[in-house]
Amino acid sequence: MVRSNMKSRIAIPALAAAIVSVTGLMAGPAFAGNATSASSHTVEVAASRSATDVIKTLASEAIVGLTDQSLSNDTRRQNFVALMDRYFAMDVISRFVLGRYWRSISEEELSEFADLLQDYLALNYASQFKDFNGEQFVVGDEKQQNKDTFVNSQFVRPDGPPVSIVWRLREFGDEYKIIDVTVEGLSMGITQRDEFTAVIQQNGGEVSALTENLRAKVGK
Amino acid sequence: MKLRTLLSLCAGASLSMLTACASTQPAQDTSDYDPLEPVNRVVHGVNGAVDFMVLYPAAMWYRDIAPQPVKTAVRSFVRNIGEPVNALNSLLQGDPDQAADSVQRFIMNTTIGFLGFNDVAADFGIAYHSEDFGQTLGHYGIGGGPYIVLPLLGPSNLRDTAGIAVDYVSNPLTWGSRNSETLDTLYLGSLALTALNARYSTLNQLNELQQTSIDYYAALRSLYRQQRNAAIRNGAEPSAPEFEDESASADFDDAFEAAAN
Repeated sequence: MVRSNMKSRIAIPALAAAIVSVTGLMAGPAFAGNATSASSHTVEVAASRSATDVIKTLASEAIVGLTDQSLSNDTRRQNFVALMDRYFAMDVISRFVLGRYWRSISEEELSEFADLLQDYLALNYASQFKDFNGEQFVVGDEKQQNKDTFVNSQFVRPDGPPVSIVWRLREFGDEYKIIDVTVEGLSMGITQRDEFTAVIQQNGGEVSALTENLRAKVGK
Repeated sequence: MKLRTLLSLCAGASLSMLTACASTQPAQDTSDYDPLEPVNRVVHGVNGAVDFMVLYPAAMWYRDIAPQPVKTAVRSFVRNIGEPVNALNSLLQGDPDQAADSVQRFIMNTTIGFLGFNDVAADFGIAYHSEDFGQTLGHYGIGGGPYIVLPLLGPSNLRDTAGIAVDYVSNPLTWGSRNSETLDTLYLGSLALTALNARYSTLNQLNELQQTSIDYYAALRSLYRQQRNAAIRNGAEPSAPEFEDESASADFDDAFEAAAN
């Protein structure tokens, strides 16, 4: 009962948001008052995928690219990095996990850190897809909150209760990119930020200390 | 029962300190507050050594030796021992329906479920809710306060430590164990099984975290805070607007703007 009530409550703002975004485009300067340009714009809106669709596509690509048992660990990691590049806003995430410290380093240092971060995440998470067997990934509803869209999903396991995964997406230009993933109430981004900033703090505010540690972890 | 008196005093003292900052919204801590970090890191290290020598091998042995039905039974037993405390705290949080669930579960499982080893109430669809006094305080808006790594028990904070003391005092089993040898044995046995079950159920996650993290202590500290936040909001969706993590939002905004330029 509670569930179904909640769903209908969410459906209304989502519908309203869709109407607002469509009317917003129509009222924009690009709309010169002729029907053909208006319709071409609505086609563009339809072409940019919804946040939920982005997560669905990511899931199907992950199943193809990561769960195949015959893949070597290296290939799996490369595929993982490629998926991150395509679906995650890595430049936002790499700043976020540095807390306030990203301001204290140069662009080169930041991009070096971003590369290491990707390798580090691939090392930690890519192998988890190896044992994928009988689990199902179910994408649920989405919810708009300030600038971000949260997509609910569940990882249904044959043995044990389902795991709730919430994806946080933000619109970049005309496409949604993931900026955080929350598993059972634990945000990956916040956990990583808290840990990384602790490492930097322990080393007198030097981001290079963290970078060295990451390099050692990924073996570069 | 000097320990009990001492615990009651400690709980009372820290509670009066904590309630000073109570509000009507459930507490959701957004950053780590760890003024005792040097001491905490030492205790964390000692706990790790004790774990490595005692709990970890015991949990590994349990994982490999015990068949699944035994593990399920132990988990049910451990949960059942905690039901009176769950019921009391649900009531304190103003949720009598949930308290009734816990009372029903306790009665059914203790009797026809043979001391709780068989979770028959689950077959009747009565849901399990884990509530402790730390969550009750959080429910009334009391934040965690300083992070504390407790000897043997591990990650906690001032609020939840006070909560553990209150839960200990309010647990009927600890009262019963004063007067009855049988209940005393049952209580001590339940402590050992609770520890074993808790360590077993976190075996994979903690192994992984220890291997992958750069600062295991800091990662645990963050996860403890977030896990307590989730427990306090009682399964409300992590991204529910009213519980939006403001500091993370602002940080995402900053990072987003910088990335866009």
